[in-house]
Amino acid sequence: MSAPRSAALRAGLALLVLAPLLVLAAACGLSLGAGHISFAAAFRGAEPDATVLFRLRLPRVLLAAEVGAALSVAGVALQALLRNALADPFVFGLSGGAAIGTALVVAFSGTALGAAALAASSWLGLLPAQLAAIFGALTAALFVFTLGRARGQLVPERALLVGVVFNSFASALVLSIEAVLQPEETQAVLLWLSGTVGYETTTVLVSAGALVLFATVVLGALSGRLNLLALGDEGAAALGVDVASTRLIAFVAASIAVGVSVALTGLVGFVGLVVPHAVRLVVGPDHRVVLPASALAGAAFLVLADAVARLLFRSLGAEPPVGAVTALLGAPLFVLLLRRRA
Amino acid sequence: MRWLWVILLAALPAQTQAAEAARRHIGPPTPAQVRRVVSLAPSLSELVLALGAGELLVGVTRFDDDPRTKSLPRVGGYNDPEPEAVLALKPDLVLAQPAPANRGPVETLGRVGVPIETFPLADVGQIEDALLSVGALLGLPARASALRDQLEAHRREVRERTAKLSHPRVLLVFGLEPLVVGGAHSFAGELLQDAGGVNAAQVEQPFARLSAEAAVGAAPDVLVLCGVDPPQGRPAVPGLEHARLVTLRSTALLHPGPRLGEALDDLLEALRPSAARPKPAPAEAAQRAPGGP
Repeated sequence: MSAPRSAALRAGLALLVLAPLLVLAAACGLSLGAGHISFAAAFRGAEPDATVLFRLRLPRVLLAAEVGAALSVAGVALQALLRNALADPFVFGLSGGAAIGTALVVAFSGTALGAAALAASSWLGLLPAQLAAIFGALTAALFVFTLGRARGQLVPERALLVGVVFNSFASALVLSIEAVLQPEETQAVLLWLSGTVGYETTTVLVSAGALVLFATVVLGALSGRLNLLALGDEGAAALGVDVASTRLIAFVAASIAVGVSVALTGLVGFVGLVVPHAVRLVVGPDHRVVLPASALAGAAFLVLADAVARLLFRSLGAEPPVGAVTALLGAPLFVLLLRRRA
Repeated sequence: MRWLWVILLAALPAQTQAAEAARRHIGPPTPAQVRRVVSLAPSLSELVLALGAGELLVGVTRFDDDPRTKSLPRVGGYNDPEPEAVLALKPDLVLAQPAPANRGPVETLGRVGVPIETFPLADVGQIEDALLSVGALLGLPARASALRDQLEAHRREVRERTAKLSHPRVLLVFGLEPLVVGGAHSFAGELLQDAGGVNAAQVEQPFARLSAEAAVGAAPDVLVLCGVDPPQGRPAVPGLEHARLVTLRSTALLHPGPRLGEALDDLLEALRPSAARPKPAPAEAAQRAPGGP
């Protein structure tokens, strides 16, 4: 562990490098797209440039940044909590939980439970499906948290296995629902959930942004204790960390971040895995630095990946889902990172 | 394993089905004089062309295969229209067919100020409604009713001709793995009835999945393959080896628009070649036949 002052210094340095990177990514996201627009014309209010820039690209860049940051901080937290470098929201059952939550909302729409979900979600400025995704991710986290324990202690390998099994269970549920769907529906949402950054209203962007910020701040506050968890539960406890409550709070915060992401963009893989690894490689293992740095780097990564997806429209006549782009970029990057670590 | 999640969330659009059953207007009002139309479905582009308003079309989907749309910019697909590409064409009217997947982009376009009309095209009645509505929107109501009357006259004439013939039991096969068939309430099912066929699939939805057992239980005499190729070296549907396998000579039945008359002739020809009459415009049909989405 490094001294607090050097941690603050490195966090500051990381911020100094990553903040401009995020700005650069946003600039790319705003200037690249399916068609060419002129910034000058857009600022003069000329159409369609102004609408494309301010009402399509800007909200889309914001959404990509929110989701990229959320997935990355959740990845950092899960990797620390489970002491497993491969832990990521999508290996771990949280995304499966989010998917189940959404499906249940659909199943119960029109009943009292559905009405309650509608009321609660509109109060938060979200859609019922989005709220359900958050609850689903939370439930999955709770499962992993309780079933991953042995003799009152969380066993990381066990928790990871529970996550994998939970994912399989969710898959089975998925297949059952798939069987009763209209052919068109199956095909249609395949597109959506393969991970797409779309266009959300300002209300949704603000509430989702608030939730992501909340989760990031909570995890940031816990980052010192996440460092100590690397020593093992006993080691951390010996240094005065309340291991159980730290884990619980971190799980809840990570679930909120993942739930928001899945609800808004479907399953965008590899962000939560690659970004924390890349960040650690540069700034070292201290979570007080890794966490905020990953938030910024993750936001920049997804904004860029989405810009690439939109840019591909020009040559393909169709836009590949951003989930495909992150996987295509992320998988080789991950192999590269592994080799560098070796 | 990711695709599994995809399907789970596919349950979502079930909620929206009721809303998609009717014609809808989204966004600001359509101007009285429409000058630039973007179509988000090949059938709707063909509808505009059939009305003689092709010069108003400024953008179509990547699935549009009518030669008259060849030089037009593409704005994405039926499921995934790209709002930026649509907006860049400065349309004053966007025509769309509602689908679970295109709901997001279509509503986004409405939100940023593009007038959109969505038309469900599941049965003949809806297709004719769309024809009349688009005709009214483009200031061509007389041409639209003429086209509708022409189609209805043709259907009547075919019905009279086939009434006295045999009535084979037919499965309209739109997909093989999984087996997807056209129901009696789809435009394809209605045209089949006109052509004197009996829809062997007892399904409520316009298009539905069918198990192999249900297909065998339906006891069809004929399998009409609509836009699917017959599999090589094995039966199209296990247990239905005895059923006659026919393919359609054009893609008209895949286009729920002004090509319904042509689609009816295709079906008639496939079911009973002797009763079919020569096509009204063979040259044009031959030109279109090789393409398809």
